[in-house]
Amino acid sequence: MSRSSTSRRSETRLREIEIRSPECSNEIETAEVVDFLESIFKGVRIAVKPTPFSKLRDSQLERVALYLASSRVKDISRPFAAVEPMYGEMEYEIRGLEGEARLGGIVYDGRRLEELFIDLLGTRNPLEKTTIVMTDRLMSTYSSDDLRHHLRTVVLGFPSIMSIPGFVEAPAKPRSYYLIKQRLESSTGLAADPEVLKRHFKGMFLERGAPGMTEVAKGLALQAVVHHLTLNPFCPNRKCRLFNAHWQEELMTSQVGSPGLCANHSKLLRQLGRDPVLSW
Amino acid sequence: MPIFEKSSESSVTRAIISQFAKDMDEYAETDVIVIGGGPSGLMAARDLALNGVKVLVVERNNYLGGGFWIGGFLMNTITVRAPGQKILDELGVKYKMYEKGLYMTPGPLACSKLIASACEAGVSILNMASFDDVVLREKNRVAGAVINWTPVGALPRQITCVDPVALESKLVIDATGHDAMVVKKLEERGLIKTPGFGAMWIEKSEDAVVEHSGFCHPGLIVTGMAVSTTFGLPRMGPTFGSMLLSGRRGADVAIKHLKKK
Repeated sequence: MSRSSTSRRSETRLREIEIRSPECSNEIETAEVVDFLESIFKGVRIAVKPTPFSKLRDSQLERVALYLASSRVKDISRPFAAVEPMYGEMEYEIRGLEGEARLGGIVYDGRRLEELFIDLLGTRNPLEKTTIVMTDRLMSTYSSDDLRHHLRTVVLGFPSIMSIPGFVEAPAKPRSYYLIKQRLESSTGLAADPEVLKRHFKGMFLERGAPGMTEVAKGLALQAVVHHLTLNPFCPNRKCRLFNAHWQEELMTSQVGSPGLCANHSKLLRQLGRDPVLSW
Repeated sequence: MPIFEKSSESSVTRAIISQFAKDMDEYAETDVIVIGGGPSGLMAARDLALNGVKVLVVERNNYLGGGFWIGGFLMNTITVRAPGQKILDELGVKYKMYEKGLYMTPGPLACSKLIASACEAGVSILNMASFDDVVLREKNRVAGAVINWTPVGALPRQITCVDPVALESKLVIDATGHDAMVVKKLEERGLIKTPGFGAMWIEKSEDAVVEHSGFCHPGLIVTGMAVSTTFGLPRMGPTFGSMLLSGRRGADVAIKHLKKK
């Protein structure tokens, strides 16, 4: 048997992209994200389904709540380590899963969320399918570069996870935002009012509910699919939708206001669009 | 002719003592004990009483209301963000809109109305009494509070030697502000571990205070600023809307729990 026929037989081809809606928010126009991906991956079926947290069985509810409660990042200066959650944290997670608590204010470890979704999706998450889970939770991952956790817009994996509040909170705002915030807080000893700061820096970063949110979702969904196919999703070009933005300004440049792809990635995606084969 | 009816000093004393004794007898065992009579504690107690729950507020000062009497920087105006003004409507507190979503009202008006509303709802109040310890039952469930007169705590133990008394309840609400005294007592006993300030995303702290108002340990509900301490939120400024909503959430959780039982 020739070597080429062996590799051809073991090729894995992307057949489906599945987008999981966020738990409760509806500010992302999912249909637009689907249209965007369809325009690139023409032969791939694209489906939108509810969050993996929907329809949990009673027997699963406590287990998932426990996992979530123990996935909270409590010390951003240390690698994540699961600790036994407080009773109240469990109660909150149960209420959150039952739709009785608004989500917000808690940062979860991104890799723990990925593990949880792998478990919940089970066999519905094969390599022939890119699953993108959108969530209303904030998530972070620990960086060994600067030894601290960073909030993330997206955690790429199998599945990839997009944090909707992360679009706003994860990429850093302008430096002067933090300097003014620090000054306000050191003079009062209290947390600065985010509304006041938002007014002062209006237009310099993405806000919840803005039309740009869906544009960001499109670009990050594309990064998730490219990651699935190549494990190499990022581009160093700031004007390419595959740019890995760390600042709000970069996120706006790379995703909002009809940006496209760089020449190299245009070519790559034409090829992947025709023949979406996993290359790793 | 004198203005007032005739009464003796002993009658006045007997009236005070008999009512106090009756109240203590009635509330030695109750549905809910709220520790702390600030905005979240009073709001929780009011909503509980309106739902037919027998509730006692234990307040260490001789006045109720905590920091609700006054706004930031010792100024009388307090601000409430939407939807907190809906509670002001319920309490009959008049307010003005400062800008869209932000309302203001005099602290003394809002605070006195809240106190009056709690009392009218049937809340029993024990002033000048301080929380000392928790009553624990099976599996370390909180089932009451040990209290003592506040002045006793101000004197050296060697010369006071005044033992506290214990009150039993189905639930206890910790509404003691940033001190989170009941939670801290459980932490002293190694029954709970609070994460400390800053464990949660700072800009979302006000919402998170409301969302985390509820059980933090079997038998113990936490409301108001005590939620910040318990769940590791940063310290916040005078955000009375969230205190009122937090109290309401605490009451809702308690009512749901009591109904289940």
